[in-house]
Amino acid sequence: MLIINNLSKSYDNSNIKAVDNINLTIKPGEIFGFLGPNGAGKTTTIKMIVGLLKPDGGRISLSGIDIWENPLDAKSKISYVPDNPEVYDKLKGMEYLNFIADMYGISKELRLGKIKYYTELFKINDVLGDTIGSYSHGMKQKIVLTSALLNEPELFILDEPMVGLDPKSTYNLKEIMRKMCDEGSIVFFSTHVLEVAEKLCDRIAIINKGKIITIGTMEELRAHAKERESLENIFLELTE
Amino acid sequence: MNRFISLIKTDLNNTFGFSYLIYNFKKKKYIWQPIVAFLAILSFIPTYIVSVKFLRDIYHVYSGIGQSSYFLQTGIILSQILVFLLGIIYVMSKYYFANDLEQLVPLPIKPSYIIGSKFVTLMISEYITTLPLILPFIFIYGRNTRVNILYWIYSILIILLIPILPLIIVSIIVMAFMKYTNIKGRKDLFRVISGIFFIGIIIYIQIILQNYAQRAITDGSEFYINLISDSNFLVKKMGQIFPPGMWATLSLVNHGNIMGIAYLLLFLLVSLLGYFIMLLLSESLFYGGLIGNTEVRTSRGREKRNIRAIKSTKVSKPYIALAKKETLILIRTPIYLINSVLGSVIVPIIGFVSIYSNDVFMTSFKEILNMYPQYVVLASIGIIVFQGIANSVGSTTFSREGKNFWIQRTLPITVKDQIIGRILAALFPQLIALLSLLIVESFIISLSIIDIFLIIFIGLLGSISMAEIGMIIDILKPLLIWDNPQRAMKQNLNVLISLGIGSLYILILGYLVIKLIGKVNINYIYILLSTVFIITSIILFMSLRKLIKRQFENIE
Repeated sequence: MLIINNLSKSYDNSNIKAVDNINLTIKPGEIFGFLGPNGAGKTTTIKMIVGLLKPDGGRISLSGIDIWENPLDAKSKISYVPDNPEVYDKLKGMEYLNFIADMYGISKELRLGKIKYYTELFKINDVLGDTIGSYSHGMKQKIVLTSALLNEPELFILDEPMVGLDPKSTYNLKEIMRKMCDEGSIVFFSTHVLEVAEKLCDRIAIINKGKIITIGTMEELRAHAKERESLENIFLELTE
Repeated sequence: MNRFISLIKTDLNNTFGFSYLIYNFKKKKYIWQPIVAFLAILSFIPTYIVSVKFLRDIYHVYSGIGQSSYFLQTGIILSQILVFLLGIIYVMSKYYFANDLEQLVPLPIKPSYIIGSKFVTLMISEYITTLPLILPFIFIYGRNTRVNILYWIYSILIILLIPILPLIIVSIIVMAFMKYTNIKGRKDLFRVISGIFFIGIIIYIQIILQNYAQRAITDGSEFYINLISDSNFLVKKMGQIFPPGMWATLSLVNHGNIMGIAYLLLFLLVSLLGYFIMLLLSESLFYGGLIGNTEVRTSRGREKRNIRAIKSTKVSKPYIALAKKETLILIRTPIYLINSVLGSVIVPIIGFVSIYSNDVFMTSFKEILNMYPQYVVLASIGIIVFQGIANSVGSTTFSREGKNFWIQRTLPITVKDQIIGRILAALFPQLIALLSLLIVESFIISLSIIDIFLIIFIGLLGSISMAEIGMIIDILKPLLIWDNPQRAMKQNLNVLISLGIGSLYILILGYLVIKLIGKVNINYIYILLSTVFIITSIILFMSLRKLIKRQFENIE
């Protein structure tokens, strides 16, 4: 269970809050979509969950472990895919994957099996011997995705994961997300692609100006909106 | 012309981060940074004062034989050599490996505009390195000779002009080098190897010229007569090798008469002419080396590489994996390799060659060293420990992560593993430095196995403290925003601060050792050094643990 309590963050000691007192509880086996316009606070929230930004106030816990009090325990249960796949350009794909696997302490058999499975799925298995600097943007994203999947995370957290992926890979990623949830993990992702959120997510939260303005299943969201049709209309109405 | 000025402005801003500085200043962020920079500079002052005093003595030697102008020329030529040597790395990374090229090349501007504007930024960077070198020469000469205001005005102009010609020569050589080495395949490796070869040739040529100059100066029976009759005799002789250095000197020396302005104009005109020749050449050379530069090997043999990559899978402990990753990146990034590893190889070789090329000196030097091998051991330990801070691997370990820093911060890796892994990576170039130093020394003196062991053991112990000092400085304020690996290592204030603190530490220890030599048994000195290094390492390790934990949480 991922529990976020009264989480707040403002930048540069200004009074404008990038994230303003948000509360969320996400159960294992849930795919949770995090929506909002540019600059709404999505990435800031995600960065606080994965340990990249220290909150000004509030608590985040995963399976009862406080992320900021026991960062190591928490991080071993989290896999994170950032919005911009910046990885070590001078390492070969395989070297990078092995590096990540070493950090999570994954056995040789397990890692080789997973690497084979996911790199074949994403069709990057034939570039593992090349340096990452030679990869395209999408390929870099796929290597980050693969590295995040080596570990069996309790929380799989992705920032705009569909940007830059080809349709086939987007489809595969959605399947993977579904499968992980079936196995009891939490999948938390931010996106601009409302269609994906609508079809994939068990629950959705819309954040604007640092505050969560609505949260619930698609049906619940529809019930609250005047124009009860697509998520697009709900989104536009709420974030105006 | 407007375009050209706009390019220069943008490049200056991009290189020195003016907008970023102003932003930080307005937001009141990192105001302590200038204070730290100031303290770092202060830490160099003791060493600097000693050197300036030494220079003053040299001035009096030259003025004693009526050749004080030669003193000025030495300063100018040394500055030009420094610009040339540093320029090789600067030019390479600025013209060919900077990220802004991806934006510049598609724009409708000529290659010469790009080179011309980048050249200006480089020149300004070079002032930062030449000023501390040339200023003492100018001041010592100015204060000890009767000069008027014109001398100081000419000095400013000459200082501004000094980097131009050496940088032009480097630019042209590097552009030609990059064009003709732009071959598909293992480009990086090829370039590093030919780069070493190239630097070797430069050193060789320099030594030949040095010998030639020495002989040219002292040859013939008229030497002493000339020395007395012409107060610029040495300057003119030396000027046969690189005339611009002579023009600059003669312009300063003759500031009181018309010849001064004439030489200044000559120096200026040749510099400008050189600049235009370089721009002209850049039209045909620059893109030839640049385009396809970032292309990586083709898919030929890809399958084999994949199989090899997968087969090489080995489970490692986190700190070993981290050390491995650091070392691989260090080796595969030419700029890092040149800065951290090549320096430690080249320095002993230069020292060796310059000693070896002088027969008389060599023989007596060898004799002295063989009489006191313990001094060689102590000096070697000193050199290795100094390399430990000068290789800047420790002091840029977090800065080098750059945009990839998120990986380190989201992984479940303990602080202890972070420190050990990074120290191990910093020791890798030290092993190469040790190897090259020991090989060079084996030609000059026969060291016993115990001596060799002492050098390796105490040298590495000291290197650990040096890596830790660097890491402490770096984690306090890592330089994570850079577009060119050159900035993480060469334009990183942390390198300078660490170098200052590390040198001070070595200076104090060195002073202590010199005081003890002869008074106590040499073995006690070895034990003392080892103990100091171990205690320092432990204390620094403990402070690093706290610092890294705090900074990994707080950096935004």
